[in-house]
Amino acid sequence: MTTAPVLIEAVDVVKRYGSFAALGGVNLAVRRHTVHSVIGPNGAGKTTLFHMLTGTGSVTSGRIVFDGHDVTREPDHRRVQRGMARSFQITSLFPNLPVHENLRLAAQGVRPRQALDCWRPPTGERACRDVIDEVLARIGLQRQAGTLAGVLSHGQQRRLEVGMALAARPQAIFLDEPTSGMGIDDLDDMKRLIRSLRDRHTVVLIEHNMNIVMDISDLITVMQNGRVLAEGLPDQIRADDRVRTAYLGNMITGGRA
Amino acid sequence: MNRKTTLLLALVLVLMLPLALRSGSLASEVLIYALAALACNLLLGYTGLLSFGQGIFFGLGSYTVALLLTRLALPTPLALAGAIAVGAAGAALVGAMAIRQRGAYFVMLTLAAAQMFYFIAYTATGLTGGDNGLLDIPRPASMDTPWKYYAFVAVIFMVVFWLLLRVTDSLFGRTLLAIRDNEARATALGYDIKRFKLQVFVISGAITGLAGGLHAMMTGIAPLSNMEYHTSEMILVITVIGGTGNLLASVLGAAFYILLADWLSTLWPRWLLLLGVLLIVVSTGMQRGLWGLCEAVVSRAARLIRRRPAGTAIDADGGST
Repeated sequence: MTTAPVLIEAVDVVKRYGSFAALGGVNLAVRRHTVHSVIGPNGAGKTTLFHMLTGTGSVTSGRIVFDGHDVTREPDHRRVQRGMARSFQITSLFPNLPVHENLRLAAQGVRPRQALDCWRPPTGERACRDVIDEVLARIGLQRQAGTLAGVLSHGQQRRLEVGMALAARPQAIFLDEPTSGMGIDDLDDMKRLIRSLRDRHTVVLIEHNMNIVMDISDLITVMQNGRVLAEGLPDQIRADDRVRTAYLGNMITGGRA
Repeated sequence: MNRKTTLLLALVLVLMLPLALRSGSLASEVLIYALAALACNLLLGYTGLLSFGQGIFFGLGSYTVALLLTRLALPTPLALAGAIAVGAAGAALVGAMAIRQRGAYFVMLTLAAAQMFYFIAYTATGLTGGDNGLLDIPRPASMDTPWKYYAFVAVIFMVVFWLLLRVTDSLFGRTLLAIRDNEARATALGYDIKRFKLQVFVISGAITGLAGGLHAMMTGIAPLSNMEYHTSEMILVITVIGGTGNLLASVLGAAFYILLADWLSTLWPRWLLLLGVLLIVVSTGMQRGLWGLCEAVVSRAARLIRRRPAGTAIDADGGST
């Protein structure tokens, strides 16, 4: 698994806000069809790294390579066409539109030029029925297809949040704390969902729930103060003394050891 | 509501105006401002863009038609096509500048553009007539009476209304709703929202330019006031009072505003004060506008009708015991 080719690479990525270095030279290589988790205490720079990888923000220095292309200077909407999709830490949907329309817009986003069409309505092949049905089944929201996204329960919104990323049929999916604020009953569903993504996608995951991280990750990168502290398999990370002292203490064991 | 019903309702409204009104000019004015409000609604209701620059495009349309008809003596359709083109070009210019910013700064940029265009029109007397405006705009003999002109405007209105229904129902229109709801997500999904905003701005400017041109032909003059900030404000007020997010709402808003203004201005010269009160009511209490009010009334009526048979059945039972 660790010999799979690299899909996403960050090379010496630095991000400064004024004199504050949110990222102080981060190197990261995410291999295809793996779940690669990024963990670390609050303020470690995880979300900033996400923004750099997906193009939500621009790097101060360093390079981002995706699928063999240097995408460092490309804005986020262009990177979507290369096969990147992301979910948000704070739920970010189209609350006044129905669930299926949320997903249709996500599916259409890969071909945004078509969406400049002022004449034809989204019917027939433009309706993206197949993708929408598949994603709805995957996130278990078939019965809520016609519901406005804004009135879904929190757990359902979190699943739709991931579904929006899926609908773009991306190569790489960036999930920023997909379980944040979720009830304990929904956690297992989300865990299964994320694990199942590996077959067709590459997953980069930020997650605070160590139980989930340790269970589904192929590789874990630990960040602290804007730098990579350690990287390794879940068992290696669990046993790493530096990680233990720097980070979550015994929480890192995921309740097992 | 589907497209056919909406179109039919618009047609009913257009056919009813001659029955309800005695002045053909007033009826034409309603449809002309309805066109401008539709264009404004496309920005405000469908995309979430509050533009104080609609008067620019209205004024540009007026001047263009006036110049093309008086100086070049072009046929009317060509003059109106010119108004559409110049309105669109103006909107492309203003839009390209304003959409660089969001929220309050976007609004300020449209306001700044409105001021600039006003003073350009004021200064360029050779082209615009400055304070006097352009006078003696001719109308072809086939539209020499107000009602004949109304028929002409009505046909154009219906065509534009139909086109806009298609636009709002299209892939583009649906994407605008997404941008209105959540710009950050729309960007993250792959949409270059500036392109979408620019395109909707150009469409809006083209229609507003057309409305301005029709207005100049109706009154026979292209006054400086068509370019003024007050025109922008009036178009916005009509759009908000009618209600955003539904095309018919703008037509309703225009009919309401123009007819109310016509009536109130004969009663009291300070009638705009009352309009202020109305705007406060709409902004605080009924944000979905007159259209929202109509919808609420219709749905309540429908509920009452559905309940009544059940009620009479209970009464009948009570009577039998």
